[in-house]
Amino acid sequence: MLIEQVINGVVLGSMYALIAQGYTLVFGVLDKLNFAHGEIFMLGGFICVASIALGASLPIAILITAIVAGLLGLMVELVGFRKFKSADAHITAALSSFAIGLVIVDLAQKVWGAESVAVTLPGTLQSATISIFGLRIVVLRLAILVISLLLMLVLYFVVAKTGLGRRIRAVAESPAKAALFGINVTRVNQQVFFIASAMAGLAGLALAVRTGYASTDVGFTFGLKALAIMAIGGMGDLRGALIGGLLVGVLEALAFQWGFGQLADVFVWLFMIAILLVRPSGLFGTLVSKEVRA
Amino acid sequence: MMQDYVVFVGVNIVLAWSVYVILLAGSLSFANGGFMAIGAYVSGVLSVKFGVPLVLAAPIAGLAAGAVGVVVGFPALRTRGIYLMLVTVGVAVSVKAVIESIDYVGGIQGFGGMVGTSPWHVAALVVMVGGGLWALSKSPLQRILDAVREDELAAASLGINTVYVKLVCFAVGAFLAAVAGSFYAHYLIHVTPDQFGIVLSVFIVLYAVLGGTNNMWGPPIGAAIMTLTPELVRGLESWRPTAFGLIILGLLLIRPDGLLAFRSVTAKSKGGVAKSQSDGAKAA
Repeated sequence: MLIEQVINGVVLGSMYALIAQGYTLVFGVLDKLNFAHGEIFMLGGFICVASIALGASLPIAILITAIVAGLLGLMVELVGFRKFKSADAHITAALSSFAIGLVIVDLAQKVWGAESVAVTLPGTLQSATISIFGLRIVVLRLAILVISLLLMLVLYFVVAKTGLGRRIRAVAESPAKAALFGINVTRVNQQVFFIASAMAGLAGLALAVRTGYASTDVGFTFGLKALAIMAIGGMGDLRGALIGGLLVGVLEALAFQWGFGQLADVFVWLFMIAILLVRPSGLFGTLVSKEVRA
Repeated sequence: MMQDYVVFVGVNIVLAWSVYVILLAGSLSFANGGFMAIGAYVSGVLSVKFGVPLVLAAPIAGLAAGAVGVVVGFPALRTRGIYLMLVTVGVAVSVKAVIESIDYVGGIQGFGGMVGTSPWHVAALVVMVGGGLWALSKSPLQRILDAVREDELAAASLGINTVYVKLVCFAVGAFLAAVAGSFYAHYLIHVTPDQFGIVLSVFIVLYAVLGGTNNMWGPPIGAAIMTLTPELVRGLESWRPTAFGLIILGLLLIRPDGLLAFRSVTAKSKGGVAKSQSDGAKAA
């Protein structure tokens, strides 16, 4: 029973991590918080619902979700961040993205209603189980875990090894200097937003498929938690977001198991405050480079 | 109806100032909705269960929230910038969840029975807080706050205890938010933890930022406009949140420094630096 809870926690944590990766990517490059990120995640579930309703198969729906969510990310960058580039503007950027989030939630409720919408996949995909070492695990959860881990691995590879990743890291270091070397900073910002939002959309799809429902209020609950997870891991650090996500997922599952119920939601914040007290820049963050940049 | 407007605008003005006071020392707090909840509940319990009069219960509740502010603020203020911001988000979320789990104050159902706020109370509160802030802006203290906000390192090198300054501002902000919360609760008669969620905290920050945070008159203007605007778009009925969100976005895009951003000396030099930086990025 305990092991099952831990596995549930890891699956939940992998979704947290997917969202937190997007936050941390945007934060690493722009030094700003994107409060609309959670709502893009929420929309991921609904885009999946819509595309399946239009007759798309699951792989096509996944593709559509990633692309549409990514395009929405471009919109968020254009409206909420393009004008607020200076180092002083981080409050303004946070509030403008929050306002975008307000609009997204309201529009989503206009289209799909305030009630949650059922997501049904063809076949027995949602209920099939396999047993590993005597544990019965829902195949779908395992698939979500594996796919999220793969996605994060790919992202890490892209950032660490490719030309795009090199440009992203250069802009993260210093937009002005990156521009001096001929990097189109705006283009890189757009690419970062596209990647981050596409991943958030996929995480939203995963949540909708796993729970069987798409709901308009997950954006806020999950989005805020992922924010705390990013801080736990260290802002701007992809490994930190992954490990923080898994840690918090397991911790929450255990807290729920031990009967904390309502208070389980507070755990992530207490955990974050505790971590920040010991390591003021999170598990993997380096305060020094941030200070220099600021 | 008129009474409603006076009370809500007044309460929101004090809340906006509570964020402004914390911003004076350079920290941003998303915890003020939580402090407001503490104020509402502590004063509510005092007046309903122990018969303490409102004018006494409100400052007591304020002191309680100030104490909480010191306890969470002392470790939190050692972290910086966005980390501090996230800690305050955590405080707001935690306060709400803790209140929801205390049966003594009604849990999720909320707590009721508080009466006694008249518009005059709120008006007096606004005048008192405004007067205090005005006196502050004319005093040497303001210059200490300016120094801490503009450059913490330089301020510390001049012998200013920056953590202490920030902590005092944080506690005063918590106090003001809680007093506003007390009057708010005693006007509404019944409050639920749901009303004090993180969204409220974000809105309080929005009041201050939309109004402009480099002088004390911006936050009240922001609060008044933001409180009355949803009434103006009432004709749109079901499109209210969208219209409201778009209005916020529009204001931020048109006046990023706030509606009432005077070009003070610090603002000018600050704007100049920021501008040259972004220009540099663009030109290069």
